[in-house]
Amino acid sequence: MNRKNFLTSVLGLGVFCAARASTPPSVHASKSAPAQSASNPQPLLIPPYLKPGDTIGITCPAGDITLKEIQPAVQLIESWGFKTLAGNTVGKKDFIYGGTDAERLADFQQMLDNPDIKAILCARGGYGSVHIVDQLNFSPLLKYPKWVIGFSDITVLLCHIHANLHIASIHSKMCNSFPDDWNKAEPVQVASILSLRQALSGSDKMKYSTSPNPQNRPGTAEGQLVGGNLKTIETLAGTRSDIDTAGKILFVEDTGEYLYSIDRMFWQLQRTGKLDRLSGLIVGGFKIKPDDPGEEFGRTVYDIVTERVRTYAYPVCFDFPVGHQKENYAFKYGVPHTLVVGTDQVTLTETAQPNPLTQPNLS
Amino acid sequence: MTQLPPFLRPGDTIGIVCPAGYMPLKKAQTCIDTLQQWGYRVEIGATLGSVSHDYFSGTDRERLADLQQMLDNPGIKAILCGRGGYGLTRIIDGIDFAGFCGNPKWIIGYSDITLLHAHIEANFGIATLHAPMAAAFNEGGAEGPYVHSLRLALEGKDLSYACDPHPFNRHGQSIAPITGGNLALLAHAAGTVSLAPMAGKILFIEDVGEYLYNIDRMFRQLKRSGHLDRLAGLIVGSFTEGKDTTRPFGATPEEIIRDAIAEYDYPVCFGFPVGHDGRNVALKIGAPHRLSITGEKISLYCPGGGTTS
Repeated sequence: MNRKNFLTSVLGLGVFCAARASTPPSVHASKSAPAQSASNPQPLLIPPYLKPGDTIGITCPAGDITLKEIQPAVQLIESWGFKTLAGNTVGKKDFIYGGTDAERLADFQQMLDNPDIKAILCARGGYGSVHIVDQLNFSPLLKYPKWVIGFSDITVLLCHIHANLHIASIHSKMCNSFPDDWNKAEPVQVASILSLRQALSGSDKMKYSTSPNPQNRPGTAEGQLVGGNLKTIETLAGTRSDIDTAGKILFVEDTGEYLYSIDRMFWQLQRTGKLDRLSGLIVGGFKIKPDDPGEEFGRTVYDIVTERVRTYAYPVCFDFPVGHQKENYAFKYGVPHTLVVGTDQVTLTETAQPNPLTQPNLS
Repeated sequence: MTQLPPFLRPGDTIGIVCPAGYMPLKKAQTCIDTLQQWGYRVEIGATLGSVSHDYFSGTDRERLADLQQMLDNPGIKAILCGRGGYGLTRIIDGIDFAGFCGNPKWIIGYSDITLLHAHIEANFGIATLHAPMAAAFNEGGAEGPYVHSLRLALEGKDLSYACDPHPFNRHGQSIAPITGGNLALLAHAAGTVSLAPMAGKILFIEDVGEYLYNIDRMFRQLKRSGHLDRLAGLIVGSFTEGKDTTRPFGATPEEIIRDAIAEYDYPVCFGFPVGHDGRNVALKIGAPHRLSITGEKISLYCPGGGTTS
């Protein structure tokens, strides 16, 4: 990872640009999505960037968390000049969930409905978003677009919002991975969390760089950035939350899965038509569950992916800092990016938007 | 209309292949001996007891070629998969079913083989056999009722199964084609060409070694894919070797399923002998079955003979 460059970019942010933050939601057509075709371009709605004093709601659509456990995130976010509002589900616990389905649904819904909440930060992943996604009424998002933030199990919501509303969201670390002591946090952790601040502020285009992996396939790709947790993406297939990846840059990550299962999931991506028309592929962190004795799979994640994409020509990069590790940068989900997989460096850059259009008529 | 392959007659040949995980020949020996005692010839494919040293019983190409030649050979009347594991996904799109469609034969297996069953049902409308595989013949299994049910199915006899009532059962009766298999493989097939709509059918499911939250997630995937709302009935088999997260999930597989289908009113039974716990009856996927669930008795019946639905 070319951490130095990245850290300079993130840490050098200083006070973010309020002028940019006051920009109204902008809409532009996705540039390169064959499936959506030029005749039917899917407009992308970018929620307003946050300005000082704006409120970020914190809620638990999936796993549970205590009020104490979100304090490091609350304090840091407030130090950035935002207000936070912890929802009713913070501190609730129903077995593995942050409250019953009804409680988690109600909490998330009121965050969607409340126009004063400018972003919804999911406190943690775990499991449970799929229990409430079909009952959530997302139409307020069209009226008051706001950033939904999270990853892992929250991939359900990010995919659903992308597939059905085409509103940008943020794939990012959540409250449970904010360090207790900011001053003692590892640099990559600090940089990862500050990238969320950058994404929310909209002050600068997102830019990431990492060192190349010998297994990479060089090239340049442009397209909307979509993806998330691979297992979660697999379990959305066939449902209305399933994403169309044609013409897009797909990123995937996972944790705690067997290699054979990862292989099966990449086959599933292919068999559901998610690999053949990609613009580019980003493979993030994969924490492997060790093979059971006698069931050694004998292939690495590199082997698995390389085999699956062999017949395609788009660029592929491995070990990108996104996933269940400390180095997990915030991605603007659905927003066009440019991926350059070079032999010296890999960069992912938020594509300069076309001239902002006016907000569509959302009657 | 589902087409039933011809039932077997004495002297017919059953081919054994391993389209997924590796299996040493000795683990299939009792199965081979038993099939021969039943009066069948057995042809051992190259992937059973192969020289493979990795997870699979051969390379994708080898497994595909072995299964393909069994499908194409008109002298083979049934193909018994030696074992499951993982691997069908990697070859399924490469299989040429033209010969099989012109000359249908019984394909036998479960677990990973669910994908093959589902794919054939979705694309070719030919019945297959969800049934014990080679290892189930070992340790006395060959004399047990489950392997016996496979024999009855191959011979075209009536299949009649019963199980004990379960407090979560929903009473009722349905006559409909049966479909299903391993939940993870059914979920894996969702959104691909390998899964047929389940509306109007009796669905059976089972699984092994999955986390409870993942059983919940996969079952909800089927629900969200529109497969569960118009079922003719649901048969819940065994969910064995289930794992739980450090923080307890708080619901058993049976509770997960009961709660996810609470809004529907079709008959449902739990604890049916299908799955990985040793109890695993032969079920003719695609063929009509009669499911009857009362407070006293659960029965599943599939008429034998040459009837085609």
